[in-house]
Amino acid sequence: MLALKFPPINELIRWRDIFSNFNKVGVIAVAAALIGIMVFLVAGSRDPLVAPTGVRNLAETGVNFIENDIVMQTMGKDGLRWTPFLLSLFVFIYLCNLPGILPVLQMPATARMAIPLFLALTVWVVYNAVGLRHNGIKYLTLMAWPPGVPVGMRPLVGLIELLSNIVLRPFSLAVRLFANMLAGHMLLITFAFLTNALFFAETKQFALKPMSILPFFMLVFLTAFEVLVGFLQAYIFTILTAVFINAAQHPEH
Amino acid sequence: MFTVTVTSTTTGASRAWVVQTAPIEGEAETVAEDKGPSPIAPEVKELAWGAGAFIVLFLLMRVVLFPRLKKGMDARYGKIRGDHEGADATRAAARAEVAEYEAEIAAVKAQAAQRIEAARNVLEDERTAALAELKARVGTQRAAATAANEAARAAAEQHVSTAVADVSSRAAELATGKRPKAADVTNIVASLMGGSQ
Repeated sequence: MLALKFPPINELIRWRDIFSNFNKVGVIAVAAALIGIMVFLVAGSRDPLVAPTGVRNLAETGVNFIENDIVMQTMGKDGLRWTPFLLSLFVFIYLCNLPGILPVLQMPATARMAIPLFLALTVWVVYNAVGLRHNGIKYLTLMAWPPGVPVGMRPLVGLIELLSNIVLRPFSLAVRLFANMLAGHMLLITFAFLTNALFFAETKQFALKPMSILPFFMLVFLTAFEVLVGFLQAYIFTILTAVFINAAQHPEH
Repeated sequence: MFTVTVTSTTTGASRAWVVQTAPIEGEAETVAEDKGPSPIAPEVKELAWGAGAFIVLFLLMRVVLFPRLKKGMDARYGKIRGDHEGADATRAAARAEVAEYEAEIAAVKAQAAQRIEAARNVLEDERTAALAELKARVGTQRAAATAANEAARAAAEQHVSTAVADVSSRAAELATGKRPKAADVTNIVASLMGGSQ
């Protein structure tokens, strides 16, 4: 019988400090920011009047994606001034997600709660500030009681809306990103572990070793899938941010 | 670090080896602390590094990176738009020239058709006149031929009736010994030849 001992989750996400108070999450976060900066720095230095190729093409694709598929779809033309913020969010989250499939790093920084929490709180502060700036103190009443709510329903709706806007939105933003990336990481570990255990099993049942190809294929498939998940989570976080900012600007809608 | 103690115990006929492990004093706490971080609770150092990295990226993106890239994109889009407008103007001018050329071609074709029609009419008149003249000449020649033919036929008939009358008179003379009157014979022959025609 083959006994497989799966390590506790705490051990799987244990990252020792590279130096004082700087672990792999710090490395990935700093690298994500640096890569993002370098890409846009190099892209900006290329001749803009010729057809874009390489890094400039990549950067312009990112800008067009944010503008056309996120801002214009959720906020309209007025929201284009939010492109730098949304672009930074998308680039940072995606580059923090990608190390989940990179050898050596092998874990997304967003699979730890710190970065999703910080980003969600930032978004929370931003959209509430935008709401207050656009609507003044009336923002709070508009947020609590959308137009058309019957007077009798106001206490209940107000409670739900306040809870939704103040607590649930940032919480769901952070947890959605964190949980998806951690779950993906756990899946990759599970199939990697199973492949390793089957291939190196000390057993007389020879059928077990060839069977290690099955979890290995699953591992390869899930690795490719994690690229998609990383992109999708960055997209969802960014588009929800745009939706929340737009909703704060026009709470009457 | 652990210490390993191996003891041997004998129970009946069998002997078993018992392996016991125990942590070295003072290291038990270290082992307990090294279970790894909480999977849910955020760590302050990760929060700080993440926040710092994102804020730097956002500020640079807001102030330098995005405006420079966007300015370049807008310049290129403007140039492309200008090129498109220029191309549209050139296309419109080319279409106007083509229309003008086609109008000229149509005028020339109409003129040519007019001239061809006039020439065809002239030819038709000439053909009709030539045909009428030819028909008149043929009619005249046919009438002359018919008259000559009638005259020849009349002469031939006269010759034949004379010859028949002579032969008939001679035959009657030989048969009867008396020569009939020439006028009678001629009348008879003429009536017979006229009846046989």
